[in-house]
Amino acid sequence: MPGPLVLAIWYVGIVLEIAFVVCSIARKSFFRYIFLNAYFLLGLGSDAGRYFFLSKFGQGSDEYRYAYFYTDALLTLALYLALISLYSCVFGELRFNRYVRFGAVILLLGTALFSYAVVVQSEQRLATAFAYELSQNLYFVGLVLTYILWGAMLKLRETRTRVVQFVLSLGLYFSAYAACYALGNLSNYPVVQYLSGGIGCLLPLAWTVTMWRHAEESRLEPARLLAVAR
Amino acid sequence: MSRKLAALALVLAILVCSMGLKTAISHGNAGSPVMIANGPAPAPIAPPPQGKK
Repeated sequence: MPGPLVLAIWYVGIVLEIAFVVCSIARKSFFRYIFLNAYFLLGLGSDAGRYFFLSKFGQGSDEYRYAYFYTDALLTLALYLALISLYSCVFGELRFNRYVRFGAVILLLGTALFSYAVVVQSEQRLATAFAYELSQNLYFVGLVLTYILWGAMLKLRETRTRVVQFVLSLGLYFSAYAACYALGNLSNYPVVQYLSGGIGCLLPLAWTVTMWRHAEESRLEPARLLAVAR
Repeated sequence: MSRKLAALALVLAILVCSMGLKTAISHGNAGSPVMIANGPAPAPIAPPPQGKK
């Protein structure tokens, strides 16, 4: 079993995931943000599965490793869908939803093809290597998509506080993970393990606070966030 | 039709940007052992082997 600090971070993350779903039900926004809720519900399910394999087989076991990578691939797909649902929120009024869906499907297929091309030389366990590679590649696609969405929101003067906060939190989450990835590649810092767990708590925390503090009717001017005092 | 082509071009640009960013961040180290994953669950000790038996 991992150390107490790693486990404590994990438990905090689980509590925050539950808190988001409870908050969205309490604020009667569960179905409005169904994909965001589905992501956390799937996260709770995979946490349960991961805990089962971790406690039964241990952190270094193949069973935990495969459970971890397959659930991670599913979670990344769910997060991608959540991001596309935020795109639909922003572009829905412009009747661009059809193109958003078309682009999302093509992008997912393109990423899957690219991942397959990378792992096709694996002689064994192609499915696991594919799940791992697809998950990693979708992260970076998500990172780029989030920044494009933020740029579009500024251009379109999107004012819904919840949508603005959701997208900003997602951008922060993806960027922090990318920074962690870079740090881990530079050197094998043990602190990356804790950082990565902490960042995992960041998204449910930010989304729960947003859901709790801001009503659906709440408005915000994103341009003000970028304004520089003269 | 042209809108769909524009969407397709945008999708390809996003894909190229994303993979370029990934390569740049991993310092061109293909099959990097470092990984990123969803949620705060403790990561397994090593990623699955790639291209090895």
